[in-house]
Amino acid sequence: MLDDIAFWVGYLTNGKHLTWYASFQFTIFAALMGGALAVVFGLTGATLKNSRFLPFRLVGSFYSAIVRGVPDVLFFLFFPLAFEQAVEWIVATQVCSPEAIAAQTAPWPPCREANWFLGTFEYLILASVSLGLVYGAFATNVIHGAMRSVPAGQLEAARAYGMSARQVLWHIHIRQMWVYALPGLSNVWMLIIKATSLLSLLQIADIVLWADRLGAPNFLPAVGLVHDDWRWRYYLVLFVFYILVTWLSERAFGAIMRRAGRGILSEAHG
Amino acid sequence: MVSMTQTEPVVAGASAVVELRNLHKSFGALEVLKGISFTAREGQVVSLIGSSGSGKSTLLRCINMLEIPDQGDVLIDGELIALRGTGPQRQIGDEHQIRRIRSELGMVFQSFNLWAHMTVLENVMEAPLIVQKRQRTEVEADARAMLDKVGIGAKADAYPAQLSGGQQQRAAIARALCINPRVMLFDEPTSALDPELEVEVLRVIKLLADEGRTMVLVTHDMDFARSVSDRVIFLHQGLIEEEGSPDEVFGATRSARLKQFLNAASHA
Repeated sequence: MLDDIAFWVGYLTNGKHLTWYASFQFTIFAALMGGALAVVFGLTGATLKNSRFLPFRLVGSFYSAIVRGVPDVLFFLFFPLAFEQAVEWIVATQVCSPEAIAAQTAPWPPCREANWFLGTFEYLILASVSLGLVYGAFATNVIHGAMRSVPAGQLEAARAYGMSARQVLWHIHIRQMWVYALPGLSNVWMLIIKATSLLSLLQIADIVLWADRLGAPNFLPAVGLVHDDWRWRYYLVLFVFYILVTWLSERAFGAIMRRAGRGILSEAHG
Repeated sequence: MVSMTQTEPVVAGASAVVELRNLHKSFGALEVLKGISFTAREGQVVSLIGSSGSGKSTLLRCINMLEIPDQGDVLIDGELIALRGTGPQRQIGDEHQIRRIRSELGMVFQSFNLWAHMTVLENVMEAPLIVQKRQRTEVEADARAMLDKVGIGAKADAYPAQLSGGQQQRAAIARALCINPRVMLFDEPTSALDPELEVEVLRVIKLLADEGRTMVLVTHDMDFARSVSDRVIFLHQGLIEEEGSPDEVFGATRSARLKQFLNAASHA
């Protein structure tokens, strides 16, 4: 009995498992960073959509209309690759000889100096930006709608007291907008959490990839413990992790909502 | 303060605080103001009366350029508010000037328009802090004094939604007072209130009038207009139909339209 426990403790803390546990940080990082960027892009998009200048309005509307429609998996594959190659192309025009660029046919990039090696961290950043861009388009719509829900009379009062457009925006408008935006943003956040399971698409050794590797059947004693297909057990652990994150998120959103809704939501009245 | 008599409401020599010259304003095809001029002098209480749609609220909102007149000028303390363009395209000419002027005009709205996410005290302190850039300690002392003055000092830390309508409107008046306004602008301050709550707000406005504050007041309440005003202006279809001291306007009404209006108002 004790031997059994000691064995399993040992097995579950071997190198591969520890790496798996460590890989949760990538998922959490991508979610938090992606979420923060989605809010930034959402605020930017909503501001553009509200702009007095037609070109800005078009850019904002185009962004929220088009990017929302693109499947996140596709965008995940497209954006980091396109970004990497674009950077390499720009670098190539600077560092490669004109002959190398002219001769460029099959190999990419045209010369070795222009090659940009992406490690896990760079991919994580690119993944976060991808998440931010895709879900920022949803956040744009949520925030745009929330901005219009703030009572116009309060904005007018702010103007009547001599506040500048920027002061009205930051002290009154955006401050109250959160109350109307948070329910929608919590949905967007849940979608981002789900999308973090796609990190392995970008060659990041994330929790899904490791669950796959660790659960895969092994018949070679030399490699490690012999077992058949255990993947469902590892996937189950991921289920539990995502459910836990969901539960924590809901509590966090509840707390933020109470704070942002003070004075505005009827529940807040003593 | 120069004392005022009922028969001589316009104080000779008192300077013009608000001066409107030939204001025109249309909303689309609807012409709301058709050329209105009047002056409110230092220490005067001017009431604008008239049926709904007569343009009295629009006129008041032109004073601080919440509505921009299509034609005509507004002067505050003799300073012309700069506008550019013509007709419906007219807009603010100088953002800095209008913000400075607005920061001296204390506006009180029909629907209070207190900022819902701030406590009453924060509402009162906001404009002095971020627009007038005054010292926080000084502003807080001022704000508490103003809240005491309107009788809701105990509610300083409550949120607007936790107050009755009458308390909210008094908080809004304290907010307007705290900027040390040159003139107070009241846009139907009691129209959104139940009759029993009106009284407490009217009492505060009367107190301010008795202090000799310059005020422009849009109101439906004829008894109040009569008791508080130095001058009453009756608007009808975008024009001044009759104006004068309260005794002249209410006691010796000349215009048939005003007679009709007062008759209807007294039966309301």
